[in-house]
Amino acid sequence: MSGFEEVNYYFRKAARVMDLSTRVERMLVTPFREVKVDVSITLDNGDLGTFIGYRVQHDNTRGPMKGGLRYHPTVDMDEAQGLASLMTWKTAVVNLPFGGAKGGIAVDPKTLSPRELERLTRRFVQQIHDIIGPQRDIPAPDVNTNAQVMAWIMDEYSRMHGFSPAVVTGKPVDLFGSRGREEATGRGAVMALEEYLRDAGQGDVRGKTFAVQGFGNVGSWTSRFLHEKGGKVVAVSDVGGGVFNRAGLDIPRLVEHARTTRSVAGFPETEAITNENLLLLDVDVLVPAALGGVITDDNVKDVRARLVLEAANAPTTPKADEILHQRGVVVLPDIFVNAGGVTVSYFEWAQNIQQFTWDEERITTELSRHMREAYATLSRLVRERKVSFRTAAFIVAIGRVGRATVLRGV
Amino acid sequence: MTNSEAAKIVRTILCRGLTNQQTEQIVNAMVPTTVTSGNTVFREEERGQGLFVLLDGTVEVVKESGPGGAVIIATVEAPSVLGEMSLITDRAHSATVRARTNCEFRLLTRPQFDRLLQGESLAAYKVVATLADVIAWRLNRMDEKFVELSRRGENPQPVEELAMFKQKLFNEWNY
Repeated sequence: MSGFEEVNYYFRKAARVMDLSTRVERMLVTPFREVKVDVSITLDNGDLGTFIGYRVQHDNTRGPMKGGLRYHPTVDMDEAQGLASLMTWKTAVVNLPFGGAKGGIAVDPKTLSPRELERLTRRFVQQIHDIIGPQRDIPAPDVNTNAQVMAWIMDEYSRMHGFSPAVVTGKPVDLFGSRGREEATGRGAVMALEEYLRDAGQGDVRGKTFAVQGFGNVGSWTSRFLHEKGGKVVAVSDVGGGVFNRAGLDIPRLVEHARTTRSVAGFPETEAITNENLLLLDVDVLVPAALGGVITDDNVKDVRARLVLEAANAPTTPKADEILHQRGVVVLPDIFVNAGGVTVSYFEWAQNIQQFTWDEERITTELSRHMREAYATLSRLVRERKVSFRTAAFIVAIGRVGRATVLRGV
Repeated sequence: MTNSEAAKIVRTILCRGLTNQQTEQIVNAMVPTTVTSGNTVFREEERGQGLFVLLDGTVEVVKESGPGGAVIIATVEAPSVLGEMSLITDRAHSATVRARTNCEFRLLTRPQFDRLLQGESLAAYKVVATLADVIAWRLNRMDEKFVELSRRGENPQPVEELAMFKQKLFNEWNY
């Protein structure tokens, strides 16, 4: 199942619970606009390089559309459609005044020099500048795009439209970026977990055991926050391998180790563990924070954690999700758990619009408010309608987008 | 057409159960009429002249006052009966009848028929019974048609899909 199909699978499941008509379903799924552009640049060796850029704008009923730009060879219209609609539902779950979009360029950025990458980015902006903008569509970093790429987008767009820092988020802190953006997804994920534990009468993070798959931005920040709050992160892994210590890992030292050696593997006083076996550890909470599709119907029966915190996008396949639900394993879904990232993006945009800077405390307080309120709504729905958290999240999102749609009129 | 030929036809379509003598009585009370092709036998909204027995030829029944102008609602071939209602009521004809071919009729006028009834002609009462049967059958068809039309009316109006969606979201799923 592709990303697009998975999003639609969960969307349809919620739509069935809500008993929506197929025509209403089709209206909600169909993107507002899909754009495909030629992005041709002169390569450093004088050759012509032609790439295809995509931007799918799914829904703008609740506000300007928001979503990442990725540079990856597999980017295509199908993928962008699915991810764009996921952004519509995600921004709605945490109640941001945004719609959803996604896009990118079909390119392997590792084959380009930094100067080629800059030319490619600026060319792409020239091709889509009339459909993006602070009140239209606000791109953000995604796979293989970073703060520097966002800075180029802001600069190129501002050349054409005047000073416009709010046209993208995820900018460098020195160029209208927001404090707290880098750690936002990890911080939001831990907030989501804390809300659940409190609500379920299971106390707090202190003393609980965790296995975290992935030690990039999301995995490492999630691990750090769990560690700070007294949680025992017993295993982490990345592409280079994994490390395990039943007594808990020293996360600040592990972060340092990973920075110098570029992998968590080989960290002192630990046993090696594979990515596959990390998923099967007997821990309180399993945190997939890297790739999609890692918990499948092949390995789901061996997952021993009582709770799955989906910090990554789509780590659980629909079939595995169903089995976990039947087994009574609670899955806190990606669409809610990792929404901290887009929430702080919203704060960055708001600061740019206000031309005012928030301090880190305000960022954290506001993020906490969004995550807490979102959780409270989901929890009420789960209790009252006996659905999973994931279905609840889609129902909340469909409700918010749907109400805005009918109030504005079709 | 001779009276005896006409009597045979009149008997088969109008007077089943009449004796030869009774049939003769009715046929004798009738006036032979011919209408050449393309001419009108009687016109919609005109006062009824009486009952026409179509002995030979073909006629068209035309509704002129309906929406969208004149419409041929039926084509009737001999032998058949037209205008039978006018024997019983004074109402005007409800449609126009036009000869498609040269047509031969026997017309039983209302005054003639009244005279037969006043003379307590058994034949005339038997004709009334036959007409009652025809009218009852038509009423029955009308009832069926009415039921069919009212069923169509019961079908829910094409619902405003968006309004239903709105109601669902604001009432049932307002989270």
